[in-house]
Amino acid sequence: MSGQVGGSKEQPQYKEKVSTPLKPGSQHKITEPHIFYPAVLIVVLAILWTMTLQLIEANHLSAREGATNSAIELAHTYEAQVVRVIREIDQALNVVKRGYELGNNKPMLTLLDDWGLLLPSFLFSTSVTDAAGNVINSTRAFEKVNVADQSYFREQLEFDHLVSSQPWQNSYTKTWKLTFSRRIDAPAGAFAGIVFTSVDASYFVSGYEEAQLGQFGVLGILGTDGVFRVRRSGEKIVSGELADYSQLTLETDGLKNQEARLLTNSWDQVARYTVATKLYDFPLAVILGLSEEEQLQASKQLRQLYLQRATGISIIFLIITGILFRLSWQLQQSRRRAMEEHIAHAKRVEHLAYHDSLTGLPNRSFFSRLLNHGIAEAQRYERCFALLFLDLDRFKIINDTLGHNAGDELLIEVAKRLSNSLRETDTVARLGGDEFVVLLPEMNEEKQLSAVAKKILSAVEKPFHLAGQDLRITVSIGICAYPLDGEDEQTLLKNADIAMYHAKEGGKNNFSFYSAKLNSDSLERLALESSLRQALERGEFLLHYQDKYDLRSGEIAGAEALLRWQHPDLGQMQSLQFLPLAEETGLIIPIGRWVIETACKQAIRWVEQGLPPRCISVNLTARQFTDAHLLEDISSILQTTGLNPAQLELEITEGLLLRDFDRALETLSKIKELGVRIAIDNFGASFTSLSTLDNFHFDTLKIDGSVIREIATDPSDKQLTEAINPVAI
Amino acid sequence: MSYKKYNKILTQLALLAICFAAPIVQSEVVVVVSASNPVSSLSKSQVAKIFLGKSYRFPDGSRAVPLNQGEGTFERDDFYQLVSNQSPAQVKAHWSKLIFTGRGRPPREATNSDAVKQLLAGNGVNIGYIDHTAVDDSVKIVTIK
Repeated sequence: MSGQVGGSKEQPQYKEKVSTPLKPGSQHKITEPHIFYPAVLIVVLAILWTMTLQLIEANHLSAREGATNSAIELAHTYEAQVVRVIREIDQALNVVKRGYELGNNKPMLTLLDDWGLLLPSFLFSTSVTDAAGNVINSTRAFEKVNVADQSYFREQLEFDHLVSSQPWQNSYTKTWKLTFSRRIDAPAGAFAGIVFTSVDASYFVSGYEEAQLGQFGVLGILGTDGVFRVRRSGEKIVSGELADYSQLTLETDGLKNQEARLLTNSWDQVARYTVATKLYDFPLAVILGLSEEEQLQASKQLRQLYLQRATGISIIFLIITGILFRLSWQLQQSRRRAMEEHIAHAKRVEHLAYHDSLTGLPNRSFFSRLLNHGIAEAQRYERCFALLFLDLDRFKIINDTLGHNAGDELLIEVAKRLSNSLRETDTVARLGGDEFVVLLPEMNEEKQLSAVAKKILSAVEKPFHLAGQDLRITVSIGICAYPLDGEDEQTLLKNADIAMYHAKEGGKNNFSFYSAKLNSDSLERLALESSLRQALERGEFLLHYQDKYDLRSGEIAGAEALLRWQHPDLGQMQSLQFLPLAEETGLIIPIGRWVIETACKQAIRWVEQGLPPRCISVNLTARQFTDAHLLEDISSILQTTGLNPAQLELEITEGLLLRDFDRALETLSKIKELGVRIAIDNFGASFTSLSTLDNFHFDTLKIDGSVIREIATDPSDKQLTEAINPVAI
Repeated sequence: MSYKKYNKILTQLALLAICFAAPIVQSEVVVVVSASNPVSSLSKSQVAKIFLGKSYRFPDGSRAVPLNQGEGTFERDDFYQLVSNQSPAQVKAHWSKLIFTGRGRPPREATNSDAVKQLLAGNGVNIGYIDHTAVDDSVKIVTIK
């Protein structure tokens, strides 16, 4: 539809105004909720998780450092305890050794024990042997045993220092024992035996505190030979197992500070912060380890807690953000909907304001804007365009006879046809009534415009099916071009209108181009029309009466009334000069009434003057003949004047009859019923058969001049005239 | 008849023996101090603390020096069971730890109840435990609350 075409030029104003809220995607502002909330969420989560992970890492590091430090500290303590215990043992052994060396093999042991110089007897059992290894005295009941085959005995044969044994298992109690010994010398320095003391190996790990070392810590004494004298983890105590001494004590040799290394201990595959320290001047090393898992458990739990909290907070944030996002999205949606409704409403209002409600085409005021816009654009870019002014022919009749609804339907259909027969860029508007106007941009060649006009004509010409019947309507088109025929809205519209009138005068269903001549004709016409409207009031019309003679008797048989206009400026005008205008404007109806009335009065006057009654004839134009009030008018005139109806003769042309035969016949018979005579004028100009004419019950037949002239020249036609004559008479 | 009578007497003696045997098997260890010591009653935990090296004083502030009986004696085992509910192994482990870590020295030991009485009479130690059958005027039984 060109309604949309026209509308499209107007819509951009709205689009510009509303594009921001309508297209949120086009501007990605940070404040837009669908960006803002996720962005905040990401930032918050990033901060949260960074902090959490840093906290976890810091916590882990401090836990490791704590474990390392406490391992070192505990190892120090343990080392000191072991050293002290070994010294105590050595001291007690030395006391016995010296006692025996000074006491000449007297049984000193019981005495020393009573004095409290020995180690606690319920932990230690101390014995003395002779040079052959036979036990000669002991703090415990003993069997006669010989220890000559024991390694510590053999070692004491050669060296005078504290000797510690490998761990050995008591065959009776199954407990692991450690033995420490010292050599006893004879006065001359010869070997006199040894003093040795045995203690549960577990004694050396009795300081194991679960509170410090946990279930899986380790406390132990490892010989430089790689044999564990004793080792304890939790409640589990073992002796005699092998371990890689050099690997454990590798970096603790020398002057370096003790350090705790995270090692997976070979004996039980537990990862521990392990400290190994070789004892000074003794072939033993203390081993202390803190289980990594246990030491870091708190940190791991903390880590778990932090992670859970962070996850919880994340989820809460996610939910909150989700809710906010959803709410704001809904808000945005409802705003958008409201905005859309507002726009739709505005569009409707605008559409109503600028469009014809019946056809949906742009209305007069919108068209005026479009035209002005077109003019401005054409001016700016030196373009041309054409304006077509359309007026439906006979639309009034259709509206009157078929009703307004049918008329409206017809207008809608015409609007559709017009739109369909034009380009997309063309604009069709309805100015009101049956007037349409078409704007053809960038077109001014006569040939092109003619083609368009013809297209429109043929589109409108096709039959319409309305109110249950087929009917045809035609259109008259006036064309003018910019800038040739006008450069402003008023001039262009007026000139197109003038051209349209010219087309109508030229027989309708037609188009006409505007020209300056048309304009002047039109001006004349306008002047004439305005004076014609006033002529009746001013009494400028007058009738001339032409007598009609009876050919046979030579007497005056009647008179024909002829209308003249005494124009104040132009002088007396023949009816031909103004009747077409009167017919076109409809002024013929009151003028015609005046003519009939005046003629009737004249006929009466003649009778009053004593003249014999004469028939007076008056011409009826097409418009008069089809006027619905014709019969009424005639009968009322006859009544008021009191003229005998037989003295009035109404003349119509033959052509008029043939336009609408049935209706004409009906009108004529009604006129006859009034008693008024009827004359057919201009007979022979059309090709009506006499038998057809007979239906009209006319009284007079006026043969056209052309027919008479031909009769005179062609003898064969005389017969025709002769044939006509009896009918006419 | 005389055989029967003899038999009957034997049976009566056996029953009597069983009657007396029960308290003997359930030997009763009592905590004692020297007769001159003013301490007359202590709680179980106060005694346990003194004998497990956790306390060196009586409630009145005077010094407490405990005297053990030898390892493996029933007096010793029963005593610790009574005051601290600990087995001999637990007591040994306890003392091992105290001695090893240098936080204490075990009480002196007496070989039997008579030795305990003798040592309590002298100086140095002032609290011990003996079988109740061994109690005489030289010592005073401490009431365990």
